[in-house]
Amino acid sequence: MHAPINAPSIAIQARNVTLSLGTGATKVGILHGVDIEIARGESLAILGPSGSGKSSLMALLSGLERASGGDILVDGVDYGALDEDALARARRGRIGIVLQSFHLLPTMTAIENVAVPLELAGGKDAFARARDELAAVGLGHRLDHYPAQLSGGEQQRVAIARAVVSRPSIIFADEPTGNLDAATGATIVDLLFARQLAASATLVIITHDPALAGRCRRIVEMRDGRIVTDRTA
Amino acid sequence: MSGLGWAALWRIARRDLHVGFRGLRLLFICLFLGVATLAAIGSLAAAITGELSTRGQHLLGADVEIAISHREASEPEKQALRATGTVSETIRMRAMAQRVGVPDPDVPASVLTELKGVDSAYPLYGTLTLDKGAYAPLAPDRIVIGAALAERLRLRTGDPLRYGTATFTVAGLIADEPDRIGEGFTLGPVAIVSMEGLRRTGLVQPGSLFESKYRIRLPAGVDAHATRETLEQRFAAAGWKFKDRDNAAPSLGRFIERMGQFLSLIGLSALVIAGIGVSNGVASYLAQKRGSIATLKVLGATSGDITRIYLLQIGCVAALAVLCGLAVGALLPPGIVGLAGDVLPIRPGFAVHPLPLATSAAYGLLIAFMFTLPALARARTQPAAAIFRALVDPDHRIDRRSALLVAAAAMLLIGLALATAGKPLFSAAVLGTTGLVLALLLGLGLAVRWLAKRVPRPRHPLLRLAIANLYRPGAQTSALVVALGLALTLFVTLAGIQTSLDAEIERTVPRRAPNQFVLDIPSTSENQFRATVAAEAPGAMVNIVPALRGTITAYAGQRVADLKGRLPEGAWFLRGERGVTYSATLPEGSELVAGAWWPRDHAGQSLVSLDEAAARTLGISVGDTLTVNVLGREIEARIASLRKVNWDTMGFNYVLVFSPNALAGAPHSLAATITMDKNHDAAVSRALLKAFPGVSVIAIEEIISQVSQILLQMSRAIVAAASVAILAGIAVLIGAIAASRQARSYDSVILKTLGATRWQVLGTQALEYGLLAAMLAAVSLALGTAAAWFVVVQVFEFGWAPDWGVVLITLGGGAILTLGIGLAGSIPLMSVRPSAALRQL
Repeated sequence: MHAPINAPSIAIQARNVTLSLGTGATKVGILHGVDIEIARGESLAILGPSGSGKSSLMALLSGLERASGGDILVDGVDYGALDEDALARARRGRIGIVLQSFHLLPTMTAIENVAVPLELAGGKDAFARARDELAAVGLGHRLDHYPAQLSGGEQQRVAIARAVVSRPSIIFADEPTGNLDAATGATIVDLLFARQLAASATLVIITHDPALAGRCRRIVEMRDGRIVTDRTA
Repeated sequence: MSGLGWAALWRIARRDLHVGFRGLRLLFICLFLGVATLAAIGSLAAAITGELSTRGQHLLGADVEIAISHREASEPEKQALRATGTVSETIRMRAMAQRVGVPDPDVPASVLTELKGVDSAYPLYGTLTLDKGAYAPLAPDRIVIGAALAERLRLRTGDPLRYGTATFTVAGLIADEPDRIGEGFTLGPVAIVSMEGLRRTGLVQPGSLFESKYRIRLPAGVDAHATRETLEQRFAAAGWKFKDRDNAAPSLGRFIERMGQFLSLIGLSALVIAGIGVSNGVASYLAQKRGSIATLKVLGATSGDITRIYLLQIGCVAALAVLCGLAVGALLPPGIVGLAGDVLPIRPGFAVHPLPLATSAAYGLLIAFMFTLPALARARTQPAAAIFRALVDPDHRIDRRSALLVAAAAMLLIGLALATAGKPLFSAAVLGTTGLVLALLLGLGLAVRWLAKRVPRPRHPLLRLAIANLYRPGAQTSALVVALGLALTLFVTLAGIQTSLDAEIERTVPRRAPNQFVLDIPSTSENQFRATVAAEAPGAMVNIVPALRGTITAYAGQRVADLKGRLPEGAWFLRGERGVTYSATLPEGSELVAGAWWPRDHAGQSLVSLDEAAARTLGISVGDTLTVNVLGREIEARIASLRKVNWDTMGFNYVLVFSPNALAGAPHSLAATITMDKNHDAAVSRALLKAFPGVSVIAIEEIISQVSQILLQMSRAIVAAASVAILAGIAVLIGAIAASRQARSYDSVILKTLGATRWQVLGTQALEYGLLAAMLAAVSLALGTAAAWFVVVQVFEFGWAPDWGVVLITLGGGAILTLGIGLAGSIPLMSVRPSAALRQL
């Protein structure tokens, strides 16, 4: 039984969501009628093998992609009614995203990268907050370094700082340790959970690593574009 | 040495050529544009000059033509001409066509025309065609007129028309005058009467300004050029002008040849500019192929294999671009001829001209080679790991062998341009300036990169990103600076030229010029003339001078004929006849700069006062001698003084002013300028024609209208030529944007993921281009102003009076237009969904 739409305790709600890419003969079904609700403050892992549709589901829930069918509500906002720019505005200050390949802006220093989301949202103390956030992820001494001058682990820390600096209510992390060695990956995961706790945010992690998934309170497993299991630890 | 043969290399090259072609579109567009322009200009010029050469006999209306000013040939002279072949005689002069009957306020009472009297043998070649019926030798009271004259005076066949003291009946409208091109520049529509009819007008008088022409049809097999030379030698002192069928319209031929070369140079400059686009296109293509190149190297391909694989691909696309450019260039001239209408002197038919096509192809392939080799050399010589690293660590060095090859290609290109140029110095100057401007803009691009890296970083993220985009690895700043700088410079140049020409016509000329010129006033009627004008326009200023025509035949002992056409630079006054006059006092508008003016009653040796610029051109001065042929008589005079002539007054300005004793005895007429209230124009014109039926009254407005028309056509040609360069600049701009597309796409996706809207992302690029445009505005203003000044002052020899308001507005408008085109190229990036892009990053 689903909670009623827009219930204050629900951060994300998806109903019968489908996603197809391509057209005509090249059309491929990626997601086939996905239903999911994620509570506020919950930590949830979406687990599955490559091609199972987990990253696509994250893209839909974070507003990076538009669904082919179904409804998605995030913090009470109906994504189906929003255009590209409105989706971008909806993400500001509400959603933080960490990607596997870090995706920092190469021409900006660490502090500038972290300040960007606040600046786009019109924040006045963007650099002060960015400095604090980088200090919190242990990079207080690397503020003015460019991405090319940072290690992979450091770049991912900057990405985490950038994701949480605007105190989002929801954090998405897509394979956050995929490009890192085991030790660095573990540190990053600790950091991610610590920042989630500090911000009381909802955390959605996409991974194919059962050990990482095991650190979340709830695990959803996907296969062939469908949720096959949904269990709480 | 490669283990792979060409066949194997071609198989590899061909495999991704269908995909590769998309990546090489910029190379194709730039080469195609440049080659098509060069081929079209070359083909058109070749078609016109070819037509002039092959149809010389018909254009001239003769095998040999002799022109004599102010007089007809004597009977012995005519007999000498008749001995060579069939002779046709014509007399041509400016004359006022006067309407007969009830005055119509909407129709002018008289119009200045070119009246031509022809004998029964005319035309020797070709056919004079009328709009209705066939032409037959005219009765003395019959006249055929040009359509323009019929239109202006609202005449139809059968209507009466008056010239001087004779009235004619219009026998038909001229549809095609066979020797129109050979006749040269005319000031009004044409009318043709018989020789007897012309004599009836009373306009042909001793001293009146007319020209007799004797056209000769030679017997079959007789060499026209040899006959001309024989006659030239025999009548060397007669002051005759000769033309033969091989050189029917020498001035027109020269003009077309020079215009063709000038436009070809602009086209070549545009091709060199497009070379930047070619270079960017290839560099960007090879950047896309970096992974493939590295992988091929990892799998064992040698540097030579890599070069040959991509040379095959690039060579195929370049060859296709050149072929398409040649095809379009060869096919364009008939279209241009159709569009140009009456602007072009003749309408050549379609023909393929191999020489200009071959030259254009050579230019295109050399440019392709020069601008693709450096990028190819970098890919060839770098180790595989370095190629993988190149995105963050671009290496711009190329090996010495490639550098030498590029230099050799450049030398070959310059050599070809100079070898095919009529004026190598001028060509070298144009190419040198183009190279200098390109080098300056490229240097500016490097300076902008250096500066952008060092300015304090702004707090606003989009501005920060915009500035960072100027120096980031792979930034196309130099190409953007060249493209934007060039486009803005050309916009400023065009605005400067256009507004200066407008000012020349609209402001300077009418303020200073008299209302009317009057020619062919009988030399004994000066007082009556002044009285007639004063009666109709009290207070009018009348300036009357003796008017003769003469040809300079020698200066300081040098016979002009011995120069055989190789005249000193700027010595236009040695070519053909010029107006000459005599005066007891220093003429109005002249300033004496050397020597002394002769006494009023000077007798003895003939003296002449020469324009100081003309003296400088010929390298002569006070004390040297000058010989002028007037009415067939050679007059040698000593240069007594040099004058500075103010040519802008549009009054009577003569290069040569003689002492009265030199020319007063020669039969001549007077010419006058009248400056008066415009309201008196019509009345004065009517009164003068009534009192002096033989005079020609030229309204200054008619001259201004003709000059305006010529200037308009010249400025259209310049705009057309500049448009090619602007198109090349825009192609470079689009190429630069395409080359940095990957980096921009990455940034825009990340920014959108972080919450930036499409307008904010587009705004970043607008800021980047805006910053560049702002920095370039001053440079473009300076470069464009210098170029416009050169064209207006040095080429056209007009006053420099640009409208700075219009120039600045054009600069702003040009910036907005260019930026708009640049931003339009970025719009597809805006519609990319972040998730779709992130999958590919």
